[in-house]
Amino acid sequence: MSEWYMKKGDAVAVSTRIRLARNLSEFPFCSLMNASQLAELNEKVKAAILDSNMPFSKQLKFIYMDTVPENEKYAMVERHIISPEFAANSSGKAIVLSDDESISIMVGEEDHLRIQIIKEGICLDDAYDIAERLDTMLCDKLNFAFDIELGFLTSCPTNLGTGLRASVMLHLPILEANGKISTLADSVNKIGFTVRGMYGEGSRALASFYQISNQITLGISEKNALDNLKAIAMQLIEKENEERQSLNKIKLEDMCYRAIGTLMNARLLSGNEMNNLLSQFKLGADMGIISLDVNPLKIMVEAQPYMLMRKFGEMGPDERDIYRANMVRKEFEKR
Amino acid sequence: MICQKCGKNNATTHIKTVVNGVVHEKNLCGYCAAKEGYNSMSHNSLAGMLVSMLGEAAGVRTATSAKKCPNCNSTFSDIAEKGLVGCGECYKTFYEELLPYLKRVHGAAKHTGKIPNKAPLMVRPKELSLDDLRLKLIELVREEKFEEAAIVRDKIKEMEGKENV
Ligand SMILES: [Zn+2]
Ligand SMILES: [Zn+2]
Repeated sequence: MSEWYMKKGDAVAVSTRIRLARNLSEFPFCSLMNASQLAELNEKVKAAILDSNMPFSKQLKFIYMDTVPENEKYAMVERHIISPEFAANSSGKAIVLSDDESISIMVGEEDHLRIQIIKEGICLDDAYDIAERLDTMLCDKLNFAFDIELGFLTSCPTNLGTGLRASVMLHLPILEANGKISTLADSVNKIGFTVRGMYGEGSRALASFYQISNQITLGISEKNALDNLKAIAMQLIEKENEERQSLNKIKLEDMCYRAIGTLMNARLLSGNEMNNLLSQFKLGADMGIISLDVNPLKIMVEAQPYMLMRKFGEMGPDERDIYRANMVRKEFEKR
Repeated sequence: MICQKCGKNNATTHIKTVVNGVVHEKNLCGYCAAKEGYNSMSHNSLAGMLVSMLGEAAGVRTATSAKKCPNCNSTFSDIAEKGLVGCGECYKTFYEELLPYLKRVHGAAKHTGKIPNKAPLMVRPKELSLDDLRLKLIELVREEKFEEAAIVRDKIKEMEGKENV
């Protein structure tokens, strides 16, 4: 068992995320909660989670965020376990985390509980199944705010109903290069889904990674939301693969080998440069141009600023560029 | 590097935007980046849309109603300001106010997903209070929806009758 980014995922579909928003009926929502209510919430969740009848209880840990060092909080953001808001504002809050970090529950984010499952590749049904089992057990132990008309009651009305946000991360370099993302994003948007960059940077996504997720949670069943998302993701994957077929082979080879050349030889690498090069390398590797036992996702996550500092200690951005280049070089050398 | 917005946290997000050909760059911490909408994990564009829609509604409503949630004391303008509801009870208290926006955001306002095993023990949507009905009546008359207004008027009479017993 290891973290999602340690596995390669599929060529285009990189990872899958399921999130359920839940609240306890005895407390106000998080924006109005005081410290003692928050502490009470923590203990209720902790007791429910650590109950030995809970599925997964053996692999789940309950962690008070006040015991987590500041840098590790941001490293958790970089591993997609918690949101930046939660990291920056985590005093008195808690997180439930499985050994392989595929299951996490933020306690005291926008909603009392944010149950998250993250997996490599595209596996919406499997990931939802885990979330559902966990949720059902928690439903029995905790009093979730639920209304027969409005479904699960959430802090923000945009999550009302199922409280389910499902997303798939896709690597779409060729659709992006051919200028087709914004048209596709528009049409996906019209049917209640969003397309956004991995860590947004204007309109262009980071290293061509895009996250597709459902927006509508009320008046649609979980199964329909997941099926629709799956259908849209499959269409985007198919379009990306289609356009990849008409690529000029020698240009692709050139791009891929140049990327490897820089990655294997650079002495300074900024996060941005590294991400873009790894994206080019991934495209070449997925197209069968080169066969190297290197996982670009693992490197992308592990070479993020706080992940680097977690491993090598506190340092400034300039020094990080040195450590990043060293780390990348070693990954490619040892393959 | 320190975040340019709050000057407190370390900057983790480098944001480059191009507006009319001019490149703007800034370095923000994860929290400030998230606040500005550069975040993939929990925010969505609907939330922003909702805040602006609710904001409009609150402006219209505050003149007529200073209604507060009996559980958490939130008013409708509190909710509109943050785009966040105060507690589960708020959904009952402000059901009428929220309903049109729920429909606009989700295209529907009836849950069709998972129902927890304990659901029958949980709260059901409350009937409208006498005050709500009176407001509703004024609205319907103003909109010249006389048939519906008559139904509401009868309902008010019925409830007033019960109260006087
Ligand atoms: Zn900041
Ligand atoms: Zn309330």
